[in-house]
Amino acid sequence: MDLLAHLLDPWFIGLIFGGTLMGIVFGAIPGMTATMAVAVCLPLTFSLGLVNGLALLLSLYVGGITGGLVPAILLGIPGTPSSITTTFDGFPMAKRGEGEKALKIAIIASVAGGLVSLVALFFFAPVLAKFAIKFSYVEKFLIIFFALTVMAALSKDMLLGIFSGVLGIFLSLIGTYDITNGGNGHTRLIPPGMDYWLDGGFALLPVLIGIFGVTVILEEAELGMPRGQSLKDIEVGPHSRFSFSIFKGQTLNLLRSGSIGTFVGILPGVGGSAASILSYTAAKTTSRHPERFGKGEPAGVIASEAGNNGLTGGALVPLLSLGIPGDSTTALLIGAFALQGIQVGPLFISQNIDTWNAMITAMVISNLVMLVTMFFAIRWFAMVIAVPKQILYPFILMMCVIGAYTINYGIIFDVWTLLIFGVFGWLMVKLKLEVAPFIIGFILGPSAEIYFVKSLESFGDPFIFFTKSWIAAFLWVLIIASVVMSVILSRRNRSDGAMRT
Amino acid sequence: MTISRRTLLVAASAAALMAQPMAAAAQDLPRNVRMVIGSSSTGGDTYQNASILAESLSEHLGINVRVDPVGASEAFKALARDSRGTTIMMHHDQSYLQELYGIEGSPDIFAETIVGPTISVNPGNAYLVPADSPYQSMDDILAAAEAGERVRVAIQPGGVSEIGFTAMRNAARLRAPGSEANIVPVNTGDQADKNQAMWDDLADVINGSIQANEQFTQLPSDDPTAMRFIWITATPETLNKAPAEGLGATSRDDMLAYAAPAVSVPMTADENFTFDKEFFLMFNPETDPALIQAIDTAMEEIYAKGAIQERFLSSFFTPQYRPMAEAQEHLQSKNNDYETIISDLKSE
Amino acid sequence: MENLTRVTIDFDTSHLIFPIMIGVILSLLGLAILIRDRAAIMSSGQMWATTFRDMDKPRFFGALAITIVYFLAMVPVGNIWPNAGYGFLICSVPYVIALGLLFMHSRSRAAIGSMLAVAIIAPPVVWWLFSEVFFLTLP
Repeated sequence: MDLLAHLLDPWFIGLIFGGTLMGIVFGAIPGMTATMAVAVCLPLTFSLGLVNGLALLLSLYVGGITGGLVPAILLGIPGTPSSITTTFDGFPMAKRGEGEKALKIAIIASVAGGLVSLVALFFFAPVLAKFAIKFSYVEKFLIIFFALTVMAALSKDMLLGIFSGVLGIFLSLIGTYDITNGGNGHTRLIPPGMDYWLDGGFALLPVLIGIFGVTVILEEAELGMPRGQSLKDIEVGPHSRFSFSIFKGQTLNLLRSGSIGTFVGILPGVGGSAASILSYTAAKTTSRHPERFGKGEPAGVIASEAGNNGLTGGALVPLLSLGIPGDSTTALLIGAFALQGIQVGPLFISQNIDTWNAMITAMVISNLVMLVTMFFAIRWFAMVIAVPKQILYPFILMMCVIGAYTINYGIIFDVWTLLIFGVFGWLMVKLKLEVAPFIIGFILGPSAEIYFVKSLESFGDPFIFFTKSWIAAFLWVLIIASVVMSVILSRRNRSDGAMRT
Repeated sequence: MTISRRTLLVAASAAALMAQPMAAAAQDLPRNVRMVIGSSSTGGDTYQNASILAESLSEHLGINVRVDPVGASEAFKALARDSRGTTIMMHHDQSYLQELYGIEGSPDIFAETIVGPTISVNPGNAYLVPADSPYQSMDDILAAAEAGERVRVAIQPGGVSEIGFTAMRNAARLRAPGSEANIVPVNTGDQADKNQAMWDDLADVINGSIQANEQFTQLPSDDPTAMRFIWITATPETLNKAPAEGLGATSRDDMLAYAAPAVSVPMTADENFTFDKEFFLMFNPETDPALIQAIDTAMEEIYAKGAIQERFLSSFFTPQYRPMAEAQEHLQSKNNDYETIISDLKSE
Repeated sequence: MENLTRVTIDFDTSHLIFPIMIGVILSLLGLAILIRDRAAIMSSGQMWATTFRDMDKPRFFGALAITIVYFLAMVPVGNIWPNAGYGFLICSVPYVIALGLLFMHSRSRAAIGSMLAVAIIAPPVVWWLFSEVFFLTLP
């Protein structure tokens, strides 16, 4: 009965609409994230009431995760951390004049991924939560390890790629072994004299926007700001037109990526960015044309976007059935519940069935709103490409500064991190090091450490990684498959190259 | 209460803008104050308490008070950089406990900052066991340790989460010297990790909170995730100030049954150990004393009005204003008590 | 038997285990690269020479320098009016203008005009949105 009342409530619908739009804008601006959109609107929810407040926050979440695909595809700068893998194939597509097509593919994949995860959330939340708690430190480490194997698959040169990835892990370990994650609070790897700045390490978001955003701009400056694309470039000939036939044969990819995203969301502490990385890996290793990935393969865009939107429903599973957030954005939702004096825990769904139904409804509507608005907004998005670089780049840099400074609520070193990693990214390209594996190592490094060390600390047996459970064994099968595929792929590439010369 | 914080702020800042010359002359308070807190989460109890206070201060003083959850280390740095009173810090007992536990880079708050008034208490710090645990009480746990059984307690080391564990070991030592070695820590991270440690059978007892774990105590006992409270560390005075209906399905009387004096974890031969997680302010030592005084006075007036108490209580926190001088003495004595236990345990 | 496979982790030094492990792997990989690509590494001087020869030096180093000045200026300027975010507001306008002029090819009146318009409108709008509406701390 209440649900219908919500559907007829213009506030409820209006907030979803507004929230989704604002989320898309936040996601689309490099440096701004879905988490930030939710954070800045959190205080508003007190006066909106629980259901309307949640409707707003959830649509910001859905919109924010999706909005990240726009700059990822058009500029090669991921709008949010979870859209990194979208740049791998989306940007090459845009460069060869298929920007519009890539955007449409990504939007549809996003909605599909979002809906897959909502189905999972609605029907299986308690079951999935029960399954998720079977994942101890050991299984979580193996999941991270599996995600790390994508470094090999993404590398152009296996040795340099893996080196870059390991370097990313190494740099992510700088600073304190964080107590709130289970560490002992000691610092390590800090260069002498840098303790004051680096005891918290380099923050992820500034590193990310530094290495993607600032590096791109530095490279362009180095080349003397060559003329960019014009609007005409992204809508060339009919061969680049979007049609639904692209999705033929991609149903499995959509379902798999959406499910992987959902599942990663369900595991607390594995981290949101792992969702798209894992589904991208899965898509690449199971593809019949893995060599096309990274060069503008639509399946890569589909996997990445279905994966990161799959996260949205998944991350709510542990929140609503265990009281534990699945990622950094859902952690903020706990604050919204607390503001209203609502407890979240294993009894939440049964005690607040109306709220629960309204939340799911809000997310379904938000996904549809997102589909429609994004589809019609593509024209305007595309105009970004036509903005002269002397206006676009200073503006992006300014937004990156805001994003870096506000991500941890006002730490100026985060702004310097932006520049440090901008220059570092430029150097990496010169030294033929590879950015994609590096950033994946950097994102996953801290979780890999904590779960690895804690596994040994708790079980005291290095063989536990193999013997812990059937889940562990299954994960090893995936890891080995992924490694073997990468090796085969790299061999094949080499022999192709040899034949051509 | 359907007025949002933001509406208030807009109204307050508009009013402040108009009344600026007057207000400035009256109190010389900066128009924009940044309240840094010792937690980097916007969903946690520190942030909630800080925003309730910040909102009341903004309203009362006609200034902007922004809460920035930068985390303890960055918050201390920000506080040390700003002696103009435009940055103030809010944190809880963790701030001195982490120094007592020797966490790298922890300042001595009593020497390096001016400890300000206390604000509120989170009465929720608790210890839990699995629903099917053989331990029915803290006494069983201490007896088990005495009998040579290893009791594994999941905590986040170096602070509020560890202090109750330290008290358990201290109590074991008082009961049977040497038996404290059987109470061993399982060092984990946040609440999710601690719960998981219990479910993975890596811990027999976990640190938790009434707020985060209450629903697990209401599950049917055959549920693999079901838990039981075994000890709530808050003082009975604090719990008695909490709403009688308690939280969820656990009433205040239920809670009192898990807290001192019903549950006894001795600190000394004739005194029980208790721990209230208290939120309080800290100032840069070079801040103009008049400014600090103005904030203390403002808080006194706010608490005298009584509206802020409702806000705290509705989020299951207990309001606990102590004027600065009293707060300093109180926290210092708390610090000394805990320092004794911690160093006694270390020396053996 | 079991003792053979047991490892005990000392919590107090556990912050070093993973960094050491990763450090060793990194060095081994680095060594492998040194051996495999020694020729390329030996001739890297050539690569840098070409890079710097072909580089648009004013734009590259200019962008770096302007950005460093921008970052350096933001905090002290903002400190004059504590916690109001004016440091960001005041420094962003000249930053966008300077970088815009530097990146521009033909400094025509129209190009400069549109750039100036953005430089003067965008920072205040962004500042207002983040500092006043979203209530975030800016430098």
